[in-house]
Amino acid sequence: METSSADANAVTGEASVKVEGGIAHFPGRARKQMVSFDELDPPQRQEIASLADEGGFFTCTPALQATRPDARTYTVCLTINEQSREICLTEPIADPALAKLVSVVRRLSSGRAAAGAR
Amino acid sequence: MCSSAHRHSLHCILPPYILSRMAENGSPDIREKAMRTLLVDPTIRIIRASTAGPVTGTIARRRAAAGNILTPSPLRTIRDAGNAPEAPGAIIARREGDPPTGDVAVNEAYDGLGATFDLFWEAYQRNSIDDAGLPLDATVHYDQDYDNAFWDGTQMVFGDGDGELFNRFTISLDIIAHELTHGVTEKEAGLAYYSQSGALNESISDVFGSLVKQRMLGQSADEADWLIGAGLFTAAVNGAALRSMVAPGTAYDDPVLGRDPQPGHMDDYVRTNEDNGGVHINSGIPNRAFQLAAVTIGGFAWDKAGRIWYNALLDPNTRANTDFAGFARITIQVAERLYGPDSAEATAVADGWRTVGVI
Repeated sequence: METSSADANAVTGEASVKVEGGIAHFPGRARKQMVSFDELDPPQRQEIASLADEGGFFTCTPALQATRPDARTYTVCLTINEQSREICLTEPIADPALAKLVSVVRRLSSGRAAAGAR
Repeated sequence: MCSSAHRHSLHCILPPYILSRMAENGSPDIREKAMRTLLVDPTIRIIRASTAGPVTGTIARRRAAAGNILTPSPLRTIRDAGNAPEAPGAIIARREGDPPTGDVAVNEAYDGLGATFDLFWEAYQRNSIDDAGLPLDATVHYDQDYDNAFWDGTQMVFGDGDGELFNRFTISLDIIAHELTHGVTEKEAGLAYYSQSGALNESISDVFGSLVKQRMLGQSADEADWLIGAGLFTAAVNGAALRSMVAPGTAYDDPVLGRDPQPGHMDDYVRTNEDNGGVHINSGIPNRAFQLAAVTIGGFAWDKAGRIWYNALLDPNTRANTDFAGFARITIQVAERLYGPDSAEATAVADGWRTVGVI
């Protein structure tokens, strides 16, 4: 899965996240946010692929944990070079790479969702 | 209880809330006797239920027994995550007693935790989250474009917002108090974070969040705005706050965020699997019950209405799976114990729950 910057352009796929929970329930945000790798710059694709590899996204066993008050649960789905997996992660996310992966996917996908809604 | 009258004579004569007052205000001899009586009782939580009176925490009792003035410190530590998604943050930005920094989020978190600590201590004689002086930890600048704040079981975590829809989450004092109150609830009733018990958990955080703000502003119940999270939205959002306790469902109506989904009556109770069974949705119902009771009782809401809700939270009958109706019964019972069965306060509490359709 690890990719060099030289072949970052070759990384294909998409990323999506559905955010649940948080300090309030916003109906407008209770939907899956998705971004295709075609819309991303090569460094952004590279970052997602690297974090997925570092955090073992396609192989890890997510820890079951109770939802803390106002903490969010993220349902993250990644498809990278035809390998696909969906996992749920609840804050606080212990693995730093997975925590950063969620952060990156959330921000890259939410920008497009908000732009479309307004 | 009185079978051991030779050891608990003071307790058998006087209810614990009077003992607590004696421990705080009596002569050294009286204070020592009162503290000894309080300290030997292993069933302090049961006593709280039978008297609904304030009981000081362990550290406070020790300080009182030592003859010190009852002025515990919140023991705050504010950390900076540097916009990484990690808590606790790597950098300690401000410790208890440090002067203000140049970082507004750090200072707001510090001051907000202090104001919340002060409400619980000065109004209800509760010493911190665990009533035993637990240090208050918070992390600010969590993650990037992070529109949230949460309690992770050991600390409060605040994002900076995305700057487009949300400002920094330390900007609202009631949000800081809301998060700290989740810690109090966890240590007391342990309300399960799902469905009605979860909505009660949320409501209790909103109640004390609002009370901290009202107390800071010196507002009576009828002067308060009863908004939760006012100031969080940027000018781009069509909304005043995250929630309205006086008119649930009216806090915002925005193209991106959608419309405030909170009901204010059981007829409109939302059954859903989202939001942990609607914990931030149906909390509008008990929120409104409290607001109605507080305004009817009058005066400062943290004084009587807040005291009733606080003692109901400590009541052993409030358990992990307590629902709206169960909590309503407990608040009414507490009001009757504190102010009398036919008191205006007990009537106001019952009327509040009745108006929102819970009883």
